[in-house]
Amino acid sequence: MTDTHTRDTQWLRYMVLHQEREDKPHQHAGTVHAPDAEMALLNARDVFVRRPECVSLWVVRADLIFTCTQEELALHPDWIESLQPSGNPVEKYYFFAKLTQKGQFTHIGEVEAQNPTHALKIALQAYPDTHGFAWWVFPVKAVLKSTPDDIAVMFGPAAVKDFRDQANFHALSVLRKLMRKQEVEESHES
Amino acid sequence: MNPESKQALIDYLITMADDELILGHRNSEWCGHAPILEEDIAFANIALDEIGHAIVWYELAADLQGEEREAYANHMVYFRDVRDYRNTQLVELPKGDWAFTMLRQYLFDQFEMMRLEKLAQSSYAPFAEAATKIRTEEIYHLRHTQAWARRLGLGTEESHRRMQAALNDLWPYALALCEPSNRAELLTQGGYIPDSRALKTAWLEQVTAYLGEVGLAIPTDSSNLPLSRTHHTEHLGQLLSDLQQVARLDPMAKW
Amino acid sequence: MYGATVEPIEDIRTDAEKLAGFEARIARGEKIEPGDWMPDEYRRQLIRMISQHAHSEVVGMLPEGAFITRAPNLRRKLILIAKVQDEAGHGQYLYHAAETLGATREEMLDALLSGKAKYSSIFNYPTLSWADMGAIGWLVDGAAILNQTMLARCSYGPYARAMVRICAEENFHRRQGQDIVITLALGTPEQKAMMQDSINRWWWPTLMMFGPHDTDSSNSAVLIRWGIKTKTNDELRQAFVDQTAPELMALGLTIPDPDLHYDAATEHWHFGEINWDEFWNVVKGNGPCNAERMTARRQAHEDGLWVREAMAAYTEKYQS
Ligand SMILES: [Fe+2]
Ligand SMILES: [Fe+2]
Ligand SMILES: [Fe+2]
Repeated sequence: MTDTHTRDTQWLRYMVLHQEREDKPHQHAGTVHAPDAEMALLNARDVFVRRPECVSLWVVRADLIFTCTQEELALHPDWIESLQPSGNPVEKYYFFAKLTQKGQFTHIGEVEAQNPTHALKIALQAYPDTHGFAWWVFPVKAVLKSTPDDIAVMFGPAAVKDFRDQANFHALSVLRKLMRKQEVEESHES
Repeated sequence: MNPESKQALIDYLITMADDELILGHRNSEWCGHAPILEEDIAFANIALDEIGHAIVWYELAADLQGEEREAYANHMVYFRDVRDYRNTQLVELPKGDWAFTMLRQYLFDQFEMMRLEKLAQSSYAPFAEAATKIRTEEIYHLRHTQAWARRLGLGTEESHRRMQAALNDLWPYALALCEPSNRAELLTQGGYIPDSRALKTAWLEQVTAYLGEVGLAIPTDSSNLPLSRTHHTEHLGQLLSDLQQVARLDPMAKW
Repeated sequence: MYGATVEPIEDIRTDAEKLAGFEARIARGEKIEPGDWMPDEYRRQLIRMISQHAHSEVVGMLPEGAFITRAPNLRRKLILIAKVQDEAGHGQYLYHAAETLGATREEMLDALLSGKAKYSSIFNYPTLSWADMGAIGWLVDGAAILNQTMLARCSYGPYARAMVRICAEENFHRRQGQDIVITLALGTPEQKAMMQDSINRWWWPTLMMFGPHDTDSSNSAVLIRWGIKTKTNDELRQAFVDQTAPELMALGLTIPDPDLHYDAATEHWHFGEINWDEFWNVVKGNGPCNAERMTARRQAHEDGLWVREAMAAYTEKYQS
């Protein structure tokens, strides 16, 4: 058939973190494939902001995210205790957690650490009330972010695309009226 | 506004609307066939924006004539024949390969962007208002098309070759984009629209610099085709027979 | 686990313990996340289902996409582009969900294009008139919503979350389809006839979308046991007929099934037997448009090859 598989590239995977409003934290939206961070940010806008609302987007290479689940942690209660700083220079990490079973990964805060596991340990200690069920940590410097200037240009246009809004179709009320009329007619007949 | 200026302004709005409509239509042909899934989505957004801009311009033309906006726009799109369309040939050419599509979009976006910046100061207030709104979308288009043009221009030998070939093909058509429309002089004097010569100079400067930066050379020997907005290629007829096919099944029906 | 930067945590439980723990979590309604232990068969079934679902969204762009250039007014044109665009988005979200299980998009697309992977048979039927945009939106997306609403509650977190996002958009798809059907059904006699013809062609293939009878569906039991599916094919199909049949009939449209009637005893609409020969024939690749759909997808993939390569090459040259 085709030998495209061997030649094909679908580029890199970037995680997309999406903020609906200023007063809400960033949440995971999905991923985009892109050749680089700049394109990833553009793609993230087109894939995840076809509808309002959005005030900020972050993208980060998926392979730079360290993930851990409650189950993994529970298997080795002493694992987290044994984690030591690695002697690398300290840097800032974002800490995301999935707080409810059905929920989405949500931005909880930042920690300073020398490596990802160390960052997780510190974060779990620093945010004892927001443990949840699974966690992500990744270096702050790995993230490309939209800027406040982008709000109008990148996210504003979705608001005027009202043809995507299901509330603008009145089909259902027409249909209901028709069905009600039929019911009345049927009850008259019987 | 005197009647002569008013008519000239209507004509001008129609040229802009037709350009955006036909380009948006061509772009929409990629939906489902783009080089990667992300771009099926991104390029559909550009198509939606351009068609949206066309609607804005048709509606301003409707207002000037006291016509009902939606009905007028639909009438203009679905019930005019080839000879009455006033788009430039640049936008009616078939979509070609991805290099051709992306470069055409870049050349158009850059022109549109610079024109909108000027139109935002138009002495005709509705014009200025609409231009300001549309401009935010065009800033994004330009970001997108510039990012793509740079990468394809400098990416691989093949992508560079395709981009240069596309530029050679597109260039004479793109130049025609800048040609003044009917009675443009009159509108410029009235402060309604920017001076087309100044706009052309600025656009040329901008695209020459940017394309040079991404490794592409403006062709110097391209023929000067007699490209006016009253003349079309065969492609427009084919495009319209598709576009108007369903609507013309019953012009009086509601769809 | 995305980050390969650290040692994975070693799981010292026996397989039986792991399975018991896993099934207990499912029973408690917990969501399984990437990184959690899961049976190989759970992973395999999910990758199969999710990638098949993703392929369906992507191939599903083609039949409606063919009418984008012909939409009969500007509003409908914008709506249809946005609708087909959403389907690309759905494919995108779903490939992501499968990627969290270790499948790559390169592999999944290769499986689709080489004919190894399946996609929903409904998209192997041709779109012949504008009315088909109504029928697809109402019937096909309507059927999909029932399935997807169920999957939004499935046990695998990333799949469930992708579905939540998709369902919100699907309602727009169904609504715009209903809007077209109602407009044509209540329009001129020619429009109504066009709509009727479309319903005649799409009704049965839509019922087939729910898949074989539960008794003939090899995967059903395990999918239900592990909380991937919570309803059977036949339950969903019945729910679809119950909801849709009376609505279409209220518009004066006829459903092409002489056996269709309301059964007061069961409070369900009884419907005739599906032509399973046709169903399996299309699944096996002999439907009216199987070849066209695959040709179109392969063409796009191959035409895009130099583009994807060039973009990656630029990154390598200038950004690393
Ligand atoms: Fe535009
Ligand atoms: Fe979908
Ligand atoms: Fe849909």
